[in-house]
Amino acid sequence: MHHSLLYIDPGSGSYLVQVLVAAALGVAFFFRNIKNAVIAFFTRNRNKQDDNTNS
Amino acid sequence: MSNSIERNPASYRDPSGFIFEKDGVLYRQVNNYFKEDFDLFIQSGLYDKLVNQQLLIPHQTIHDCISGDENAYLTILPEKINFISYAWEWSFDMLKDAALLTLRLAKESIQFGLSLKDATPHNIQWHKGKLIFIDSLSFEKYNEKNPWIAYRQFCENFLSPLLIMHHSKLTLNQLQLAWPDGIPLEVAAKLLPAKTKYSFHTFLHIHLHAKVSNKAAGKRQKDLQFSRRKFLNLLQSLEMVIRRLKSPSTATQWADYYKEATNRNGYIEEKKKIIQHWLSLNPSLKSAADLGSNEGYFSLCLSEHKIETLSADIDPNCINQLYLKIKQEKINNIQPIIFDFSNPSPAIGVDNKERERFTDRLNTELVISLALLHHLAIGKNIPFEKLASYFSKIAPLLIIEFISKEDEKVQILLKQKRDIFSNYTQTLFEKEFSTFFKIIDKQEIGLSGRTLYFMKRNEE
Repeated sequence: MHHSLLYIDPGSGSYLVQVLVAAALGVAFFFRNIKNAVIAFFTRNRNKQDDNTNS
Repeated sequence: MSNSIERNPASYRDPSGFIFEKDGVLYRQVNNYFKEDFDLFIQSGLYDKLVNQQLLIPHQTIHDCISGDENAYLTILPEKINFISYAWEWSFDMLKDAALLTLRLAKESIQFGLSLKDATPHNIQWHKGKLIFIDSLSFEKYNEKNPWIAYRQFCENFLSPLLIMHHSKLTLNQLQLAWPDGIPLEVAAKLLPAKTKYSFHTFLHIHLHAKVSNKAAGKRQKDLQFSRRKFLNLLQSLEMVIRRLKSPSTATQWADYYKEATNRNGYIEEKKKIIQHWLSLNPSLKSAADLGSNEGYFSLCLSEHKIETLSADIDPNCINQLYLKIKQEKINNIQPIIFDFSNPSPAIGVDNKERERFTDRLNTELVISLALLHHLAIGKNIPFEKLASYFSKIAPLLIIEFISKEDEKVQILLKQKRDIFSNYTQTLFEKEFSTFFKIIDKQEIGLSGRTLYFMKRNEE
C-alpha cells in the first residue's frame, strides 16, 4: 500500500467502484432479461403445445 | 445513576447509540443524533416486518433514560443472546447464510425507504436456533442518489472469506481472526485463484473493486449519481455470487466418525444410556456445552432433554453438517461452533476487550467431553493437570470419558509418535482431576474398556 493511502479511508474509493460495477451490471442484466424473456416465450409456447397434446 | 452502568467494550464505533449493561441486563441506547432515522425505522413498519420474519432481534422500548446520559433519545431492551459467537467460529454455511441475511435486510430496507448502513457478521448472532440480525441501529434513511455505504464492508466481511474458503480450505475461516473487520480486498484478490478473474461477478466485486478503490481512494468523487435500480442490481449480483458458493466437499478428519463408532458393539448406545441416566438424576439442568461434539450426536441427546447446548468441535466440516441438520430440522436449542480445545478463541480488538475470549463467554452448568481427552493428552501432549485446570474454569459439572492406552484408537495415535506418555494412566487421571473436581460416579462403557466419569467442581 502506498504510504499516502494510510491516511485515507480506503472505503472512500468504493463509491466510484459501485458506479462502475452498477454500469456493468446494468448491461449484463439487460441482456439477461432479454434472454430470459426469449426462453420464457418459447417454453410457454411449448407448454401450450404440450397442454394441447395432452388434452 | 450513570456510575452503575457499564458500556459494552465492543460498542464504541457508532454515534447512533451504544450497548450497556446495568444490573446484569443488556440495554441499547439510541442517541438523539439518530432520533429521526430510528423513528423512521419503527414507524415505516420495517421493524415489525423484520421481527415477524424472525430476521431481527425483537426489543422492548423503554422511554426512561437508564444510562443517565444526556445524549439519550430512548433505550431499548433486546431479547437476550445466550452465547455470543464470532464469524471465525462459524462454519461455511453459517457465514453464507449470514451473508444472505444481510443482503435480504438491505433489500427489504429499501422498500421501506431505509438503507442498511453496516454489513458485518458482528451484527449477526445465534438466537433460538438460527442466525439473526441484532443491531437495531443499522438502518438509516435511504437517499436514492447514494451508493451502498456498506458495500466494501460486505465484500470484505462476507464475500472475501466465503470465496477463499470455497476455492481453498474450510479451515481458512481462521483468516477472519487475523482480520476481524474483514479480509482486505487486495489480500483476497491475491489469495484467490487466477480463474476467478474470469468469473464476471467475482471479478467486479473483488478484483476490480480492489484495483479501482485503491486508486480512487481520497480523490474527490463529485457528482457520482446512483439510483434505486442500480442499488438493487448490486444486491442481486452479490446474492448470485454467494448462492453459487459451496462448502468444499473434502472428507475431513472426523466425518463419518459415528458410522464407524456405532459399529463397535453398541458402544455409542451404551454411552448414551449412561449419560441419559445421569441427566435424569439432574432434571434442573438448563445449559450444557458439548466439547468435541463431532456431528453432534450427543448434543442432540442433550437437546432432547430440553438443555440449551453449545455444540463445539474443531472440525469445520462436522460443524457445518450439524448446522445444516439444525436448519433443516428446525432444532432450536443447539448452537454449533468451531472450537479448538487446545487453542480457544482469544480476546481481540481494542484493549483486547472488544471481542471476548471463548473461556469468558462460556457460561454453562454442564460440560460434556467424550472421546476427546486422549487427543489432547496424547495427540497434543497436554498434561492431565493442565486439562483438569482448564475444565475447572468452564465446567461446574463435567461428564468426561477416559480411554486407556491399550485402546485401539489410542494405539493408532501412539503409532505416529514416540511413547513419552508414562503418565497417561487412569489412576493419574483421577488424581489430577480430583484436585479440582469431586468424582460423583464412574461407569464402564459396556465392554469397550472405556470409562465415563461424572464430576462436580469443588467450590471454594
